[in-house]
Amino acid sequence: MLDDGRSTRGKRILRVRLNGLWREDAVADNQLLVDYLRESVGLTGTKTGCDGGECGACTVLLDDQAIPACLTLAVRCEGRSIETIEGLAAGGRLNRLQRAFHEHLGTQCGFCTPGMIMAAEALLRRQPAPSDQQIREALAGNLCRCTGYVKILESVRAAAADA
Amino acid sequence: MHNAPPGRRRPTPAAGVPLIDGIDKVTGRARYTADLEHRGALVGRILRSPVGHGEILRLDVTRARRLEGVVAVVTGEDCRHTYGVLPVAMNEYPLARGKVRYRGEPVAAVAAIDAETAARALALIELEVRELPAHYDTASARAPGAVLLHEDRPGNIERAVHHVFGDPAAGFATADLVREACIDCAEVNHAQIEPHAALAEYDPQTARLTMQSVSQVTFYLHLMLARCLQMEESRIRVIKPFVGGGFGARVEALNFEIVTAMLARAAEGRVLMELTREETFITHRARPQTSVRIKLGLTRDGRLTACECEVVQRGGAYAGYGIITILYAGALLHGLYDIPAVKYDGYRVYTNLPPCGAMRGHGSVDTRHAFEVLLDRMARELGLDPFAVRRRNLLVAPTRTLNELAVNSYGLADCLDRVEEASGWRGRRGHLPRGKGLGMACSHYVSGAAKPIHWTGEPHAVVNLKLDWDGSVTALTGAADIGQGSSTMVAIAVAETLGVPIERIRVVAGDSATTPKDNGAYSSRITFMVGNAAIDAARRLKKLLIAAAAHKLGEDPENLDCLGGLFGSTRATQTTLSFADAAKAALVNEGTLTVKGTFTCPPEAQGGKHKGGAVGSTMGFSYGAQVVEVSVDEATGRIVVERVWIALDCGFAINPLAVRGQIEGSVWMGMGQALMEETRYLDGMPAHASLLEYHVPTSVDSPPIEAYIVESIDPNGPFGAKETSEGALAGFAPALIAAVADALDVDLDQLPATPDRVMDALVARRRRQRLQHQPAGDAK
Amino acid sequence: MTAPLPPFRVLRPQAIEAAVAAGAAPGGARYLAGGTDLLVNLRRGLLAPAVLIDLGGIAEFADIRCTDQRTRIGSGVTLARLATDPAVGARHPALRAAAVAVAAPGHRNLATIGGNLCADTRCIYYNQSEWWRRANGICLKSGGEICHVAPEGKRCHAAFSGDLAPALIALDAVAEIAGPGGRRRIACADLYAEDGRAHLQLGGADLITAIELPAEPVRSGYLKERVRQAFDFPLAGVAVALATETGRLSMLRVAITGTNSRPFLVENTAALLGRAVDEELLGQLDKLVQKQVRPMRTTLTPAGYRRIVAAALARRLLASLGASAAASVA
Ligand SMILES: Cc1cc2nc3c(=O)[nH]c(=O)nc-3n(C[C@H](O)[C@H](O)[C@H](O)COP(=O)(O)OP(=O)(O)OC[C@H]3O[C@@H](n4cnc5c(N)ncnc54)[C@H](O)[C@@H]3O)c2cc1C
Ligand code: SF4
Ligand code: FES
Ligand code: FES
Repeated sequence: MLDDGRSTRGKRILRVRLNGLWREDAVADNQLLVDYLRESVGLTGTKTGCDGGECGACTVLLDDQAIPACLTLAVRCEGRSIETIEGLAAGGRLNRLQRAFHEHLGTQCGFCTPGMIMAAEALLRRQPAPSDQQIREALAGNLCRCTGYVKILESVRAAAADA
Repeated sequence: MHNAPPGRRRPTPAAGVPLIDGIDKVTGRARYTADLEHRGALVGRILRSPVGHGEILRLDVTRARRLEGVVAVVTGEDCRHTYGVLPVAMNEYPLARGKVRYRGEPVAAVAAIDAETAARALALIELEVRELPAHYDTASARAPGAVLLHEDRPGNIERAVHHVFGDPAAGFATADLVREACIDCAEVNHAQIEPHAALAEYDPQTARLTMQSVSQVTFYLHLMLARCLQMEESRIRVIKPFVGGGFGARVEALNFEIVTAMLARAAEGRVLMELTREETFITHRARPQTSVRIKLGLTRDGRLTACECEVVQRGGAYAGYGIITILYAGALLHGLYDIPAVKYDGYRVYTNLPPCGAMRGHGSVDTRHAFEVLLDRMARELGLDPFAVRRRNLLVAPTRTLNELAVNSYGLADCLDRVEEASGWRGRRGHLPRGKGLGMACSHYVSGAAKPIHWTGEPHAVVNLKLDWDGSVTALTGAADIGQGSSTMVAIAVAETLGVPIERIRVVAGDSATTPKDNGAYSSRITFMVGNAAIDAARRLKKLLIAAAAHKLGEDPENLDCLGGLFGSTRATQTTLSFADAAKAALVNEGTLTVKGTFTCPPEAQGGKHKGGAVGSTMGFSYGAQVVEVSVDEATGRIVVERVWIALDCGFAINPLAVRGQIEGSVWMGMGQALMEETRYLDGMPAHASLLEYHVPTSVDSPPIEAYIVESIDPNGPFGAKETSEGALAGFAPALIAAVADALDVDLDQLPATPDRVMDALVARRRRQRLQHQPAGDAK
Repeated sequence: MTAPLPPFRVLRPQAIEAAVAAGAAPGGARYLAGGTDLLVNLRRGLLAPAVLIDLGGIAEFADIRCTDQRTRIGSGVTLARLATDPAVGARHPALRAAAVAVAAPGHRNLATIGGNLCADTRCIYYNQSEWWRRANGICLKSGGEICHVAPEGKRCHAAFSGDLAPALIALDAVAEIAGPGGRRRIACADLYAEDGRAHLQLGGADLITAIELPAEPVRSGYLKERVRQAFDFPLAGVAVALATETGRLSMLRVAITGTNSRPFLVENTAALLGRAVDEELLGQLDKLVQKQVRPMRTTLTPAGYRRIVAAALARRLLASLGASAAASVA
């Protein structure tokens, strides 16, 4: 049971593989993954856009799957792999989605962008050559208020072609 | 004009350039307000009124103050100064004093060591309110005997506008067809994806305040902070971090920003205030619910003879931008078509709801919608093609409208041609299967209000350039980049004018300690005004550089130019000087160079002499025409937008990539308002205050949008440019309603056109058809 | 930082028995599956259990097993998996259609079939923040005195809005329950009661362990209407399962969600059996549905629309499934 590792102050040690590196942190049972990432680890690339599950700005990858980090308890990620936007640019080089979103203006204000790119990353990992409809469906949980999704679609298409 | 456009050069590459801060955004490095380093900062929270209208009898914060971990508690007692964006209508306190006027109005606030403590402290505040009758709609607020929200506003009318231009009665008399429509548009919200946040730090040693916030208007925020906190302006610094969209949500100082500063001063420390999405909705300041009664006269061949329009806006509890909004709604009846006579009556009504404000297409959207919808219906009745009707009523630039708005460039005719052709209108309209339809409409918007809200006699925009020994050019601008790409535009304008690659330019924006004052990101003013100021600054800098380079090269300055970062003779001599060397030469005896560029709208562009005549005045209007294709499901009432074709005359596309992005985004936002967006209050409670109940369209609801750029080259615009971010929005909804009418022969009088409203209209149509057929006795 | 969640402890049992034992412990415990319904409700202060029992550690919950007789789906199978599992898709199209219609892709990677069946009912006066509900007056469902939707009545009309239940009901699925008293099986249709406050016929510690569906092939489909095409609960959702013999209906099950406090099987469809799917038959189903749904003002979309559209969807499904049945006969 998870509560084996509970410390005296109601926290327990969480061990996760975050952007490729294993780490351990003390977390409270009621801490959300998004707060763990932003407040405890300091990875503020992952955004909060709503009061829970309604915008997609907090999308991260949990074992390769895109999930809303604001509806996930940090303690449930024990032993699992979490990837955030900060983990995509390996060695400081933009990954293909980041490059495409930059060059094709898939980002305007940029607030939806980290979540959007993570959702698109999950899609391209499982479906390297998605159709337009597949792209639209994969991003349906990520609201963007700036682009009308037109250039987001173009960006994902361009990234897929960039394989 | 002191800024005649130089040779129109397309920035390289021709498709446009990515945003200069794009890499920060795609890597997650960009820091928005809530991302700013805030370790050790106190957590701010706001207590909000549970009632819609009432007198505060008792507000006791002693228990909250005593709670361990609470560092500061502030109430209306701590600020006796009103704030507001219009000097003539500041009637709001950051925290309510005496009365509360809407459910959710801030009443008190706490700063505590963590969120749990802050929440507990709020629960310990005792608030006693004597409820007054609340008015949640305009009819009840205007009814005789209604309780007044503000003593000085009889009938709860914030502002009534009555404008008549030309002779409407004579116009209607010459019409072959006069029709009227009553159109109702729901209140909508900006719903920018970044929730509101502010980080304020007060240093008791130096008595200085540093404010970082989501603002689009750091200058106005600066003013209001000084006013409400009674601090000298010079002791305040306002910094704009990355901002996650605005669309008008942040074009005035907002209550939570002032409250955060109050808390920081009371706590003598740093306070981070993050509003929830619900609170962000409650802060509101968006497009009001609007009822439009519109009457048009047309001749048989489609010439407009007169327009009469009455607009009632449900403005919410405080003034905000209200006066401007109700004036815009009438003023922008003009400027799109040639109309011989226009009568406008507008009423901005106080109600016990969150205050409305400015939102993309400020003031123009709902009246434009009603106008275009009625025009389409009348065209159908007369058997005229909607394109032909528009073409029949075009303006000829340069001209002045009846209400004295200057129209200096006018690409609407080209816009019409482009979308008519691209959509295959001629071959397809009228030949689509049942349930499918095509509709079109036009729209326009200002490129910056020609008269600033705070009239100071200063230029409308200032840009500073700094050139230093390292050869880099830093552009300093107060203009707020909120995602629209204004910093990139400044970089392009400077680079193009100097003749250097854009990489040489660095833009520093939105920090009152370093950047010149700017009025902010509203009314689509930045490209036109700040762009012109940037060009002006770059020209001045270039002059200095050319002089230095000429000296060095022994050439006549008249014959020198800088191209691709090299200074050389325009008469093809071999010798050239690199930009870096020219810069070094220019710095001799001078040191670091700083130059300033400005832009000022001339008085003749600032509108008519009539009351409110400045509103709507601008240096240039953008023009748009769009075609929308829909399918409507008759069994469920659901509308699917299949495709949109939009052409926008933006004067000149300084950055075509960004222009397309703005056009697509604004058309799409128009779609949201047309199809599904709507705020809803249940007894004044915001029932829509989440992104689940407030329906922002998702990627699967959104159609392909084909955007075409039309360049009319405005004589005064920077490189000929005008605005591009707002003009396309207002055309979507009427084009959609026209398309639905084409698909199913139903008239929709309400926005948004949700499935239930479509079903109601279908039922009404069936009833109408039955009635039509019965008496004639010729039903099949 | 997001507003803090109420304090709770998380337990992660590895076995069903341990989970049920923890669920039965005094002090208020709640099962946590995907958390996409529960955590939103916790964040809004709709409930504050002292313990959450994380079901993610129970390995067999994640199984899908297909035999000749039946399909057995562990209650922890995610909706994303249901939507892509080829066997489920082939055997039970309605279930697949319902799974892809839930929320958005990110949610479906977390959300489970068990959690979807047990999701709370919804109402515009209830799914709001604590400040909102207090300011408006706490309603029956939150422990207050009145219902804002039907103030004259004494019950809660919050609408069940899960998408999977109608598909499972139409497909005649059975839920396997483990509880303090042992294991039992209940038809999915019987899991629910018409009461927005207590819509589940389950005890607090009862745990759905698996769902079983008969394997014999029936034609089935699911349609839902909503304002947006993603990220939205059903205004009405309809599942239809049918079989035909020589072009005539030999079996018909129609189940509906989003209109009542429970998902339910439309009654009196027997009268439609033995007949071909034609306009008249469709009209009769339309009437049956309109009569039996009870939408109330629990959504911002008018209740009258939800009634009409439920019937329209039922009609549409019956027509298309009936037509494809006819086509396969021909
Ligand atoms: C923005 C948004 C949109 C949504 N849209 C939809 C939609 O369109 N359609 C829809 O159906 N849902 C929707 N949902 C709700 C939710 O995502 C789904 O209902 C989901 O399937 C719930 O499953 P879960 O595993 O996440 O449940 P949880 O949240 O983990 O649990 C839900 C409830 O079920 C109980 N429970 C869970 N598992 C079991 C079990 N095995 N036995 C007994 N009790 C159990 C829990 O204690 C809890 O009370 C939406 C949610 C959000 C945030
Ligand atoms: S139906 Fe009535 S009791 Fe039930 S949640 Fe809604 S308001 Fe409350
Ligand atoms: S923050 Fe909006 S879905 Fe997570
Ligand atoms: S880029 Fe602004 S929300 Fe998507």
